[in-house]
Amino acid sequence: MENVSRIEAPPVAQVRQHRFHRREQIVGRVLAYVILILGAFAMLLPLFWMLSTSLKPERGVFTMPPQWIPDPIILDNYTEVWQRTDLARGFFNSTFIALTTTIGEILVSTLAGFAFARMLFPGRKYFFGLLLVTMMIPGVVTMIPAFILFRLLGWIDTWLPLIVPLLFGTAFAIFLSRQYFSSLPRELEDAAKVDGCNYWQIYWYIFMPNAKPIIATLFVLGVIARWNDFLGPLIYLRSVENFTIPLMLIRLNSVYALRWPLLMAGSVIAVVPVIVVFILLQRYFVESVAITGIKG
Amino acid sequence: MAVSSQPPRSRLGRYEAFWGYLFIAAPLLGFIIFAAGPLVASLVLSFTDYDILTPPRWVGTQNWQEILGLTVVTLPQQVDDESGEFLFRCGRETVLQSEIADYEGRVDERTRQVMTCAPLLVRATDVLPDGYAPWFDVELSGTRYLVGARDAILWEGLFNTVFLLLAIPISLALALILALALNQQIAGKNLFRVVYYLPTILPLAAIALVWLWIYNPDFGLLNYLLREAGFTSLGRTNWLQDREAVKPALILMGVWSGLGYQMLIYLAGIQGVPRQLYEAAEIDGAGWWAKFWNVTWPALTPTTFFLLITSMIAGFQNFLQPYIMTSGGPGNASRTVVMTIYDNAFRDLQMGYASAQAWMLGTIIIAITVVNFLLARRWVFYEGEGLS
Repeated sequence: MENVSRIEAPPVAQVRQHRFHRREQIVGRVLAYVILILGAFAMLLPLFWMLSTSLKPERGVFTMPPQWIPDPIILDNYTEVWQRTDLARGFFNSTFIALTTTIGEILVSTLAGFAFARMLFPGRKYFFGLLLVTMMIPGVVTMIPAFILFRLLGWIDTWLPLIVPLLFGTAFAIFLSRQYFSSLPRELEDAAKVDGCNYWQIYWYIFMPNAKPIIATLFVLGVIARWNDFLGPLIYLRSVENFTIPLMLIRLNSVYALRWPLLMAGSVIAVVPVIVVFILLQRYFVESVAITGIKG
Repeated sequence: MAVSSQPPRSRLGRYEAFWGYLFIAAPLLGFIIFAAGPLVASLVLSFTDYDILTPPRWVGTQNWQEILGLTVVTLPQQVDDESGEFLFRCGRETVLQSEIADYEGRVDERTRQVMTCAPLLVRATDVLPDGYAPWFDVELSGTRYLVGARDAILWEGLFNTVFLLLAIPISLALALILALALNQQIAGKNLFRVVYYLPTILPLAAIALVWLWIYNPDFGLLNYLLREAGFTSLGRTNWLQDREAVKPALILMGVWSGLGYQMLIYLAGIQGVPRQLYEAAEIDGAGWWAKFWNVTWPALTPTTFFLLITSMIAGFQNFLQPYIMTSGGPGNASRTVVMTIYDNAFRDLQMGYASAQAWMLGTIIIAITVVNFLLARRWVFYEGEGLS
């Protein structure tokens, strides 16, 4: 009934309604800008404060009102934190761990994802479901037995507990790559099979070269997750020379407490690689978050 | 692609199955070693006393009794032994009921404050059974009840953890507003997306140092801005050393560092709302609020539901932020459950007891997930179900 009355409504009312919608759209857009700009300001303020503090001399931070733009701008904090503390060591340790674990994780997981997406074997669905279940196990429950296991193996204070588990692949990466491989056209492997390729060759020469978006996604997610990881290194690493960069930062905070410019310079150094990787591969990253809705 | 679930019988099929198992062998082995094995092992450990250095000793349900040991007692008012009168506390003095009038409303000479009188209650340790410590007390219809726990630190940690979950509704609401704003036709969309998302991917250790500096009581940014805005007394708060302020401070930082992720998921959800629904609503003359409330919000309930579950699972395992920022202090005001588990396991080497605590938390997390799923049936609309 309502629809009928709408259709019969005089044209004047429709025009008025149209105008009303135009005005509403403009108001909405202005409001959106105001909200987004204010929000962006709030989001960037802490990061700006970190950068600003890191460029100030030691005593420059204990003035009120604070200087927003440092005058003079100095880089001494960066040279000091890089040369006089162990931060650089942590930087390289973290780089090594992040790269080895991520590359290993990608190779093993895409191979399994390929098998789950493209091959037939009894129990395939069952095994895949089993792997998905691991994503739901709260990490806190498995943390203690894992520690006991690695202690039995004599791996405490080495990087092995941080690296080896990831070389078995992760459920998350298997899930993502399976979804991706399932979406590729069937002709891909048919042609290869006719040419007499075995399954390894199909995976390595046909599917992997076609999997760049998913590899890039897994790479960003993996590298950032390992670079940021704190709990693992905290549990397993003991000597300072093995520390990753987050542990180094927290150690700096206890050794150089209240030397804010130095600590902020260290934080900037820890943050920059993440920002660089993120900006370079941002396209893949944002897509993957939007598609899967799962945080790396 | 469509595949039959029939096991392959041919030689070619067996060949394919062989390679298939080979390709998934490593992850399956990893599943047993790093997930299923530890899951069972920690359950078994939860019934033992194990300090790593000596072999585990079976203690039955002792750990569990300790963890779940809760009791409720009433806190009666103290009575004077000689006169049998109720005792009151006025300022710093302990006063008989009949003498209250001499004290109430007068100015204390030492503190120069007007005295008020309150009933003097029995000390918690006098009424709690042996082995119990006070957790919290609450007044119900005139009687003060005290809840005691054998592991009061664990339960206080649970309370703190749940309190810190307040960050979730706050950030979900903000994330939705931002996503709706970002969904308008505006310039610089991508830039905004990057700016909001950035904090979520940065290493928490670095972020925590920045916020330690922001929360610095004397020279920190927050207090400076508060004082500039006219909140003079609030602008002197020692955010991380004050029992009242520490949780809001951690929540604020948590909202800041998690908002972008939720915004991005909401944005994807909004863009998935079928265009025809809006057109239909517009034909019906719906304004922006009617469109939001009748179209966008119902269509987004699966997204909200997903974010709620994942944030709660993560929130219950909250550890790093309070560990780095406050070490659980002041007192135990910001100590979370996982911090307690971590300390028991890796500092005090009580692996068995900590395993029981971990399983208790794991059970809570799973229970909440299940409850969320059950409740979801009542309010989550999936597309195609009809938005009635």
